[in-house]
Amino acid sequence: MKETLQKLVESFGPVGYEDEVRAVIRQEIEGVADQISVNKLGSLIAVKQGSGRGKKIMLVAHMDEIGLIVTHIDARGFARVTQLGTVYPIYHIGGRVRFASGQLGVIGVDRREDNNKPPALDQLYIDVGAKDKPSCPVQVGDVACFHRSMEAVGNRLIAKSMDDRLGCAMLIETLRRLRTTPHEVYFVFSTQEEMTSAGARTAAYSIEPDVALAIDVTDTGDTPRALPKAVELGKGPAIKLQDSGMIVDPRVKEWMVKRAREARIPYQLEILRGGTTDAQAIQISRDGIPTGSLSVPCRYTHSPSEMVDMADVENGVKLLLALVKKPIVLSDE
Amino acid sequence: MDVNALLKKLSQTTGLSGYETKIRAEVLAEWGRFVDETRTDKVGNAVAVKRGYARKAHRKIMLASHMDEIGFMVAGFSHGFLRVSPIGGIDARVLPGQEVIVHSRQRDLPGIISSTPPHLLKPDDRSKVISLDQLWIDVGLAPAQVNRFVSIGDLVSIRRDVTELKNGLLAGKAFDNRASVAAVAVCLELLATIQHQWDVIAVATVQEETSALGAATSAFGIAPDAAIAIDVTYGVQYGSAGNEVFPLDKGPTIGIGPNMQPKMTQGLIEAAQRIKLDHQIEPMAGSSGTDGWLIQVVREGIPTGVVGIPLRSMHTPVEVVSPRDVEQTGRLLAEFIGGLDEKFYESLTE
Repeated sequence: MKETLQKLVESFGPVGYEDEVRAVIRQEIEGVADQISVNKLGSLIAVKQGSGRGKKIMLVAHMDEIGLIVTHIDARGFARVTQLGTVYPIYHIGGRVRFASGQLGVIGVDRREDNNKPPALDQLYIDVGAKDKPSCPVQVGDVACFHRSMEAVGNRLIAKSMDDRLGCAMLIETLRRLRTTPHEVYFVFSTQEEMTSAGARTAAYSIEPDVALAIDVTDTGDTPRALPKAVELGKGPAIKLQDSGMIVDPRVKEWMVKRAREARIPYQLEILRGGTTDAQAIQISRDGIPTGSLSVPCRYTHSPSEMVDMADVENGVKLLLALVKKPIVLSDE
Repeated sequence: MDVNALLKKLSQTTGLSGYETKIRAEVLAEWGRFVDETRTDKVGNAVAVKRGYARKAHRKIMLASHMDEIGFMVAGFSHGFLRVSPIGGIDARVLPGQEVIVHSRQRDLPGIISSTPPHLLKPDDRSKVISLDQLWIDVGLAPAQVNRFVSIGDLVSIRRDVTELKNGLLAGKAFDNRASVAAVAVCLELLATIQHQWDVIAVATVQEETSALGAATSAFGIAPDAAIAIDVTYGVQYGSAGNEVFPLDKGPTIGIGPNMQPKMTQGLIEAAQRIKLDHQIEPMAGSSGTDGWLIQVVREGIPTGVVGIPLRSMHTPVEVVSPRDVEQTGRLLAEFIGGLDEKFYESLTE
C-alpha cells in the first residue's frame, strides 16, 4: 500500500485537473475490479459485484488536491496566482510548485511592512526562473500543485495531498483484499471535492446507493496548543459524528461503531468544527442517502507536509473490509 | 384543536438536528389524526398525506415545516466537565446558567452550563461574551466517573418548559419551528371541512438548522407541483428596528422575493384577502433562510411560497410566540389549498 500511496501523493491533480491521478488509479485496479468507468465529470468508478443478496454501497475518496492557478504574469515574468481549494499562504513561502508541464517554480512573497503578520495569497508570486514576460514558460490559466516528495518518519508518513490520496490508496487496498461480499460495492474516486464536491455529488446521483461512506482525512487536536479536538494520531481511524457540513446519520454511525467493536479495531469519534467532505454532498443527493464518513487522523492538513500514522491507515482498511463484507443493518436509535 | 396544548407538547419534546426520532413520533401522531396516510422517509422526515378530490391530474402541494431544534453534542472532557460542539446556530450570549439534559446512552442526566463567578473574572472579561469553547457543562460527576456515564457524541438539549406570558403569549424553546408544525396541524384539521382538489403532502423536515437536508431530499422524493415552507420570522421587540421585523398578533407574514414564485406569493395574499385574515408582507431580498431556499431548486424547479410566524427572541430557550398567529397561519394555508385548481397550476408557467 505504501508504494501505491507514494505514486498517488506525488502525482499532479489540483481541483479539476485530476487526469494524472485517475490514470495511476486505473493502472492499480485494472483486473481487480469487475467494471471500471469514468463519469461525465471525471470521477473514476470501479465496481465489485457481490453475491446478489446485499445492498448497494458507495465508498468515495477524492482524487483532487488543493493547488494554484495563474492569474497574471508581470513584465519581469513573475506569476501571480489564486487558489484552487483552500490554501493557507503561511505554509507555502519558500516552497515549490509544479505545473502540469513539469515546470517547477519557487513561491516568493512581496516585501511586507510587518513580517510578523502572515501574508495574504495575493502577496505571493511564483518565480519560474524566467527573465521576462515573453520568455516565461507559464501562462494565465496554468495550474500548479505543491511540489513535495513523500517521506517516512518512523511509522508515520509525511507528504503533500495525503488529503485525499490516502483515501484513494485505502480504497484501492480494500478493493484488492476484498474477495467476497454480499454487496454491490462502488469504489468512487471523485473529482473537485476541495471546491464543490462536484464529482461525488454527480456520482451519487447516478449510482443511487443504499448507503455511502466518504474516506478522507481529518485534522487532530494532539499538537501544541491545537484547537481542542478529541482525535489523535495513532489512536485509530475516526468515525465521523458531525462536521460543518453535515450531521452523520446516527444509524450509519452505530453500524460503523458496531463493526469496529466486533472486529476489535481501535477507533475514535470525530467532531470537526471547520470543513466537510464529499459525504455532505452525497447525503443530500436525490431523496437522501444514509451517509457516514471514515476519517484518518492527519496533522497539518492543507500543508505540503500532511502527516499520518500507518497504524491508523491499516486499521482504516480493516474497518472498511469489516463494513463491506458483512450485512448492513441500519436500525433506528 | 387546543393549539396551546399542542404548542406546549411540541416545544417540550426533544429533537436535535439529525436526531429527530422522538419529535417525529409526536408529529406523526398529531398530524396522523387528520390525514389519509403517514410515513417516515429515508432520512427521517415525517410525511403525512391528505388526498384531494381530483380524479384525474393529481396535483401535489407540499407543506414543509422543520421539526429539528438547535442543541449540542459532547465533544470532550476536562476535570469532569463536558466540552460541547454546537448543532445549528447556537447563540453563545444566552447560554451561561442554562439548564440542559445530557442524553447519555444509559439515561438522561440533568446538567447546567457553568459560568465563572464574576468575582473571579478580570474586570475586562466581565463584559465579554463567553465563546462556546469556554463553556463547560456540569453534570455533577467527578473526573473519574464521567467517562462511565457520558461519551463523545452524546447529545445535549436545552431543558425548558413552556411559560405562559400575559395576553396568552407563550415562551419556550424550539418554537423555531414547532410553531409552524402546529400551524400545519391546524391546516390539516381545517382541510377536513374544506373541499380541496390537490393532494396535500405535509412534511416535518429534519436538519433545517444545519443543512436543510430534509427539505431538499423530501422535495426530490415527493416531486410536488408547488411547495410552501412555513418557518418563524423575526418579531418586533425592544432593540429591533427596520423593516425586517413583524409584530406579533398581526397574522402570518407572506414572503416576497427571489425565493418565492410570484404566483405563489400572489395566491397566498389573495387567500388571506378572501377570508379577511390579518397578514403581513415580508420582503426577502435574498435567501429566505428557510427550507424554501433549497426546495425551489430541486429537480426542474418547484414553485415555492414562504409563510412566516413572527417570533421574539429567536434561537434562545425563551422564544415568544402568539398561539393566535399559529392558528391564523393554519387558516391561511387551508384557504390557499382549498383554492388550488388546474387554472392555478397552469398559471404557474404562464
